[in-house]
Amino acid sequence: MRDYEAVIVENKQIADNIFSVTFRLSETASVRCGQFGNIAVGGTHLLRRPIAICKVDGNQVTFCYQVKGEGTQKLKTMEAGTRVNVLMPLGNGFFVDEKETKVALVGGGVGIFPLISVLREYLGRKEISAYIGFRNKGAVCGLEEFEKADKFVAVTDDGSYGEKMNSVQAFAEDLKKGNRPDVVLSCGPTLMLRALKKVVEEENIPCYVSLEERMGCGIGACLVCVCNLTNGEHARVCKDGPVFNANEVVL
Amino acid sequence: MANLSVNLCGIQLKNPVIAASGTFGFGREYNELYDIGTIGGVSTKGLTLEPRLGNPTPRIAESRGVILNAVGLQNPGVEHFISYDLDWLKSTGTAVIANVAGKTLDDYKNICAKLDGLVDMVELNISCPNVRSGGMAFGIKPETVEEVTRYAKSGLKNTPLMVKLSPNVESIATNALAAQKGGADCVSLINTLTGMAIDIERRKPIIANNTGGVSGAGVKPIAVRMVYEVAQAVEIPVVGMGGITCAEDAIEFLMAGATAVQVGTANFTDPYAMPKIVKGLNDWCDKHGVESVSELTGALQLNQR
Repeated sequence: MRDYEAVIVENKQIADNIFSVTFRLSETASVRCGQFGNIAVGGTHLLRRPIAICKVDGNQVTFCYQVKGEGTQKLKTMEAGTRVNVLMPLGNGFFVDEKETKVALVGGGVGIFPLISVLREYLGRKEISAYIGFRNKGAVCGLEEFEKADKFVAVTDDGSYGEKMNSVQAFAEDLKKGNRPDVVLSCGPTLMLRALKKVVEEENIPCYVSLEERMGCGIGACLVCVCNLTNGEHARVCKDGPVFNANEVVL
Repeated sequence: MANLSVNLCGIQLKNPVIAASGTFGFGREYNELYDIGTIGGVSTKGLTLEPRLGNPTPRIAESRGVILNAVGLQNPGVEHFISYDLDWLKSTGTAVIANVAGKTLDDYKNICAKLDGLVDMVELNISCPNVRSGGMAFGIKPETVEEVTRYAKSGLKNTPLMVKLSPNVESIATNALAAQKGGADCVSLINTLTGMAIDIERRKPIIANNTGGVSGAGVKPIAVRMVYEVAQAVEIPVVGMGGITCAEDAIEFLMAGATAVQVGTANFTDPYAMPKIVKGLNDWCDKHGVESVSELTGALQLNQR
């Protein structure tokens, strides 16, 4: 973990309201898939924006983000050459056990981006099936990455691209056909994760989910971004997560 | 090199920069970024006798120049702190200030007794705006401020007591005097101002607790004014906080009458905020021919009206 003074190389729109920003760091960062960065947008915004790391290429790091509030609105206007402080890498990230050879990625909306980092890390070393879902055709992005998976299905809620269903339904359908993974890694809206948890629990498949929560410090000190664990305790999404065993977290 | 050390109630701080309670945990996370032994002190996450889970999420929101939080005193309990964190925190070389809260007067006395002699100072949280029972209830009226201070003080034989004051009151100077009368060795201010931020699409407050404590750069002028008023009113030292982001901000508080300062929200914006403030204080003093930072305390000269 370091606070890098990063320089924007490229900041471009990749789908409706979705942008991709690439930073050049002063040196190569060692990043595990599923970790995130806390990006200082500056001005009157005192809180940084915690965003999943999508791609690492040498000393270049790419984050993809949805423009949602004033902070991401400001980030979107930042041009190449702008200096931005990025505290990273943060959180635990995804980890696939050596014994697990068949990996399913199930992503919804902006939740697909941390899964791109998983795909890039394990490509060629694991048999990866990706199931990604979007609201509609305009929101579709990241296909050029998921196409590299051993199998990939993209669907939309309204059927304007691919079949009309969500990514959990796409995964469940494939499961019924006998395509059973050793582990499922997922990120997306809470409702989606909840539906997924039900499917994997019935089938007894290990599943890890990456959570999102409003954060303060981003490093585990302020206890702002907690989630409920099934044992009644709280865990810090930023430090103990963002990736949790689906069995251990209340969704 | 200016002399940055200050004496706060007999405790020698390396410099007047203290991490504000609730923004710094027990220091372990920030120590991964820099040696926290280089800052004057750490006021711990608010401790209670029993562990607390705190409020539901979201616990934080942002508004221009400020943030709002309602964590609700999540903490592992004072015993856990003493067993797992205290020795490590002391070993860093920073002054350890245990921030404590309670539901009853006896809670305050008992938790102070557990920490007596173990920490450098106890900071009494009687102004947490985010917990329904206790906390803030004691911090509103001068009579209860004095009473809770007296109870807490009765649990402390060897450790000085700092009372953290709420700005959400009729007169913060009157409450500071009440704390002094109750036996406080010093006071700290300001705790957060109660506020609300609304998600207009959902027509609901962003924070699950509905209201939260406002802090950050935007509250600084209010805090400076209150520190000035309190420093004028009391004999005991004052520790100032509220929106301090850089060394110049810290100097404003010192000039208004503070002996030391606390830095909270700025840690979120820049995790290196405090070491930068320490360096900035030294640079400013050198540039202005100030040999010791303590010379700045109360150096304010009001305009003649």
